[in-house]
Amino acid sequence: MCGIAGIARREPRGVTAETLGRMAASIRHRGPDGFGMFLGRRVGLASVRLSIIDVAGGAQPLGNEDGRIVIVYNGEVYNYRELRRDLEAGGHRFHTHTDTEVLVHGYEEWGEALLGRLNGQFAFAIYDRRNEHLFLARDRFGVRPLFYTIQHGDLIFASEAKALFASGEVEPAPDFAGMDEVFTFWAPRAPRTTFRGVQALEPGCCAVWRDGALHSRRYFDLDYPEAREEPPDTLRVLDELMRTGVDFRMRADVPVGGYLSGGLDSSIICALAAAASPHQLRTFSVTFDDPGLDESVHQQTVAAGVGSLHLVAPMHRATVAQVFPDVIRHTETPLVRTAPAPMFLLSRLTREAGIKVVLTGEGSDEMFLGYDLFKETAVRRFCLRHPESRTRPRLFDRLYPYLQRDAQGGEFWRRFFLTAGSTEDPLFSHLPRFQLTARIKEFYSGGVRDALGAFDPLQELRDGLPEAFRRWSFLNQAAYLEIVTLLEGYLLSSQGDRMGMANSVEGRFPFLDHRLFAFSAALPTRSKLRGLYEKAVLKRWAAGKVPPSVAQRAKQPYRAPDAPAFFGPERPAYVDALLAPDALERTGMFDGQAVAGLVRRCRAGRATGFRENQALVGILSAQLWHSEFFARPHRPDPLAVDRADVVLRDADTPWAAANPVPSGARG
Amino acid sequence: MTEREITQRTRAYVVENFLYMRQDFRFDDQDSLLTKGVIDSLGVMELVEFVSAEFGVQVDPADITEENFGTLAGIARFVAAKRATRTPA
Repeated sequence: MCGIAGIARREPRGVTAETLGRMAASIRHRGPDGFGMFLGRRVGLASVRLSIIDVAGGAQPLGNEDGRIVIVYNGEVYNYRELRRDLEAGGHRFHTHTDTEVLVHGYEEWGEALLGRLNGQFAFAIYDRRNEHLFLARDRFGVRPLFYTIQHGDLIFASEAKALFASGEVEPAPDFAGMDEVFTFWAPRAPRTTFRGVQALEPGCCAVWRDGALHSRRYFDLDYPEAREEPPDTLRVLDELMRTGVDFRMRADVPVGGYLSGGLDSSIICALAAAASPHQLRTFSVTFDDPGLDESVHQQTVAAGVGSLHLVAPMHRATVAQVFPDVIRHTETPLVRTAPAPMFLLSRLTREAGIKVVLTGEGSDEMFLGYDLFKETAVRRFCLRHPESRTRPRLFDRLYPYLQRDAQGGEFWRRFFLTAGSTEDPLFSHLPRFQLTARIKEFYSGGVRDALGAFDPLQELRDGLPEAFRRWSFLNQAAYLEIVTLLEGYLLSSQGDRMGMANSVEGRFPFLDHRLFAFSAALPTRSKLRGLYEKAVLKRWAAGKVPPSVAQRAKQPYRAPDAPAFFGPERPAYVDALLAPDALERTGMFDGQAVAGLVRRCRAGRATGFRENQALVGILSAQLWHSEFFARPHRPDPLAVDRADVVLRDADTPWAAANPVPSGARG
Repeated sequence: MTEREITQRTRAYVVENFLYMRQDFRFDDQDSLLTKGVIDSLGVMELVEFVSAEFGVQVDPADITEENFGTLAGIARFVAAKRATRTPA
């Protein structure tokens, strides 16, 4: 795992080592083990490396035999050994044992068709000096990030937006449409980001930069070719996919650990990892002092069951507030939940324990319909078929038992779910969440309202749905929306890559193996959600592999303390400072009087609902985001070129010697 | 205390606590607080607490219905009826 950055010039005027050194310095946390750069007449590339495979021999940038092709690469290709065998059989000669070199030779051999052969999580840039094309690609689900901007005809790209700003060639400015998407979907939807002019390469997409223009295309589409009947060998195939998916992700030249939440998914992953690991597995969990959030009993049960050496990161309300500025520096976006904060501390604990690769359970809920939202969608549809029924809405009490406990307030919630939108709306499944989240927008200043004008993120989402969407079952439609609105931008980024890499820890996601996605997408939906019983096929398969108490446990949403975290006696000074009227006026994003009302209610302990909790987190995180990225320049000291592990230059390679550039063409 | 007074005091509470971010929001006594997005279910519970404390009426779980707590007018009717049937101490 690593960080990458680079610049491709429309005119061949080169990129300085200092510029690349600054970009690399800004993302050093992604790769503290080494760095290198390529200095070409048109293209400059930088890499910071977290060494995991071929620790000694895997320095980047890496070229092919004659230096014609150069790569910087962030990620892992798990089937690299198999691909290498194919390439060697075709005559390719390898000098390292890295998956990086497999990409180089694979690109030589197969060109862009290489992407369809990769099983992994990656973002990379390959410079092909023969035609001066730069080829960018990102994995199917967007596990690894890749941002870019085009400035005066030059392409500037990096693993994190902060490296674009560190180049000195990109001025950071907020994109309020991106912020508006955060306050709708919880994250901006690629290619949009929260920075004006900065785009994210979409998951499952690649792009070619040539002659001053970027041409992108999709190489992987989500599809749901649902079968009518469950194939008889379903459990056998699932077993094979789960085992090989984990085995692939255990490939590393350093020990691999596991994140253990105490739920079904991480328990499955840790059980398989423990069985596959040559060492005693190390597992890591977050615990909360709030018993409503804590899952430590289940974590300990699983850790004991798989025989792992288990460590915990205890979370208190005050800790969330303490680390929140660091969290926002790494997420590079406002948030509506504090849940990334514990993940930040978890990766710190993991790294301090000497582990830099962890397996984790994200993706299962999307593949096997685990979230309550899917059941909620089914119940809403069921109720709306007979709106006059008074018994059908009682299903919401089974779905959300706390609504029933909430005296009779549940009646109001039931009504909310049933009036959230029409079943004819393609976004039907997600409208309650989107509408609830969008309440934060009530706090917008007039300036932000004016800047947004008629921008409508829901209509943009509807307009961009693929043609196949209408053919899918309503639950697969919901699963698709969950993947494109929440998985990549929030779970894999703000709560995933960014929190792991902040402390130089790489997360690996067996449930996001594309073979497993294809398998689950082809199952009948009732194999996944049977009535209100979620992840049915996965639970059938997991029986006997994880403790029964975990296998049959109702899903507990992962939460962290929200607004109360910022109003305890130990709250850091930045909270009051950023929520003060003058600070709000300076950033100009929120209405000071409205925020004052919210703060008053938070201080009084009365902001107990979703709406006000998320508003407080949204506003405070946006203020932090603003002060981090727009209030001061980003010019870290560059990594020194004479300390680099590798520096490649245009003229140093056999290919350059054999293909001299005419003197008049040099920049 | 008249229904009008109950309505006015409840409206002031709702505006101060639920509409502080929407100063120019207007709603009628008959408007559904839920449909208009003024309160959510936790807001209902907060209103119940307010009604109990402010008007000295006991609210049973079975009383918390949309009819009684869905509109300002409904709350006023409910409170007035409760107060009318209250047994003198």
